[in-house]
Amino acid sequence: MTAVLQVRGVSRLFAGGAGVRAMDLTVEAGQIHAVVGLNGAGKSTLIKLVLGMLRPAAGEVLVAGVDVRTAGPTTWRQVGAMVETPLAYPELDGLTNLRLAARLHGVAPAQVGARVDTVVRELDLGACTRVRAGRMSLGNRQRLGLAAALVHDPRLVVLDEPTNALDPSGVIRLRESLQRRAADGAAVLVSSHHLDEVARIARTITVVADGLVVGTLDPTGVDIERAFFATVHAAEAAS
Amino acid sequence: MTGLGTALAVELLKARSSRVLRWTGTLLVAGVVVLSAVMVAAARSGREDVVAKLGPQAASGDWTALLSVATQVTSAASVLAFGVGLSWLIGREFADGTVQGLFALPVTRSAIALAKTAVYLLWTAVAALALTVGVAAAGLLSGLGAPDASTLGGLGRLLVLGVLSAWVAVPAGLAAVLGRGLLPGVAVTVGVLVAAQVSVVAGAGAWIPLVAPALWAIQPSGVTGPALALVAVVPLVVVPATAWAFDRIQLDR
Repeated sequence: MTAVLQVRGVSRLFAGGAGVRAMDLTVEAGQIHAVVGLNGAGKSTLIKLVLGMLRPAAGEVLVAGVDVRTAGPTTWRQVGAMVETPLAYPELDGLTNLRLAARLHGVAPAQVGARVDTVVRELDLGACTRVRAGRMSLGNRQRLGLAAALVHDPRLVVLDEPTNALDPSGVIRLRESLQRRAADGAAVLVSSHHLDEVARIARTITVVADGLVVGTLDPTGVDIERAFFATVHAAEAAS
Repeated sequence: MTGLGTALAVELLKARSSRVLRWTGTLLVAGVVVLSAVMVAAARSGREDVVAKLGPQAASGDWTALLSVATQVTSAASVLAFGVGLSWLIGREFADGTVQGLFALPVTRSAIALAKTAVYLLWTAVAALALTVGVAAAGLLSGLGAPDASTLGGLGRLLVLGVLSAWVAVPAGLAAVLGRGLLPGVAVTVGVLVAAQVSVVAGAGAWIPLVAPALWAIQPSGVTGPALALVAVVPLVVVPATAWAFDRIQLDR
């Protein structure tokens, strides 16, 4: 398997001690990899380091073999991400927001319409295309942000807490979308503070606590929730 | 610059739907036109208190008076309005949280910053033109008669003042990036206005880029060509700095 994302010994700490320490992680093509941990465990910091929103104090992040500190348009065109806030401008309607996102992700103008239509169907956003993002419910804005991250069929998908505010139907749509994309060869990294429906479809589940990778979970395990807390508590006791 | 064309297309689309830019521009134009016309009308009707405030040039109640008032009001109001507009153009990405979506893109953030600046300069140029046309229309509707060459020169200076005021206000964009929001940009805009006033009071105006356009528009003989050209230094230094800062920014706060 090809490693699309490699995190090698990455550290970035903030005042007060939060952040990530010497973290290693690999996401291969065709793999869904979930990072789970309690609030403040370092998941969002890890995602931000992957996307170049933060620069590591030590270590390196490689996307398709390229260090993100020097990555150019060829590398970033292959990445689709959503972190915390959807890329949705409140004054623009759903369709315009998606067209704008497609252009920013490097989709050729002639292909924008087709790509947008596909992702609208995929995430069932048909009713929101003519609604301004500012008037959408939180869940629909989240769906719109996910669609904006996926509109260009990225080779690497990075989503931070993607099921936030989604209704059950939205969660199922997202789960199916990610499974299909992984089956088509995309590498998917999702973070979650709990073992939600998306984390459970991952082939690899990495547990982080206090900025460290403290273990992995077997996604086919019978009592995965209990195993998660046991891993976290064991890490806390050891620190 | 990677993706500048795409960034420009995207920013133009966003600006076209922006109520903030539309209303800020409209309020600037309407405010200057109405205030100037009302003041001159008051001066013409013999209101001595108004004449005392506006100065001897306004006492005539003719085109010279109208342009004098319009130029004085524009010199401060346009910097304020344009600074607020630029603060919003850049700072809204932080306020709305959309800045996170501007990472990991084939379009660089420096290209996005330059596209925003280009849209800003276009918007301010349109506003300056509308303001000039509005003042001319107010003069004609007030019965001041057909403008002569001197009046046309004054209207031309009003247009240039609007354009140069946009150049003077560009530090607001850099402040919005460094301060990661709208308010730092607005604060710097107010700072620019205060610095301009202090410079005038201190008698150091003509060679200070922040005030040279206003002094030139009010009294062209008081500012030399090189002093006026020095205004270009502000965007030439600040715009690349803004693009660089936006490109290098980290979301660590």
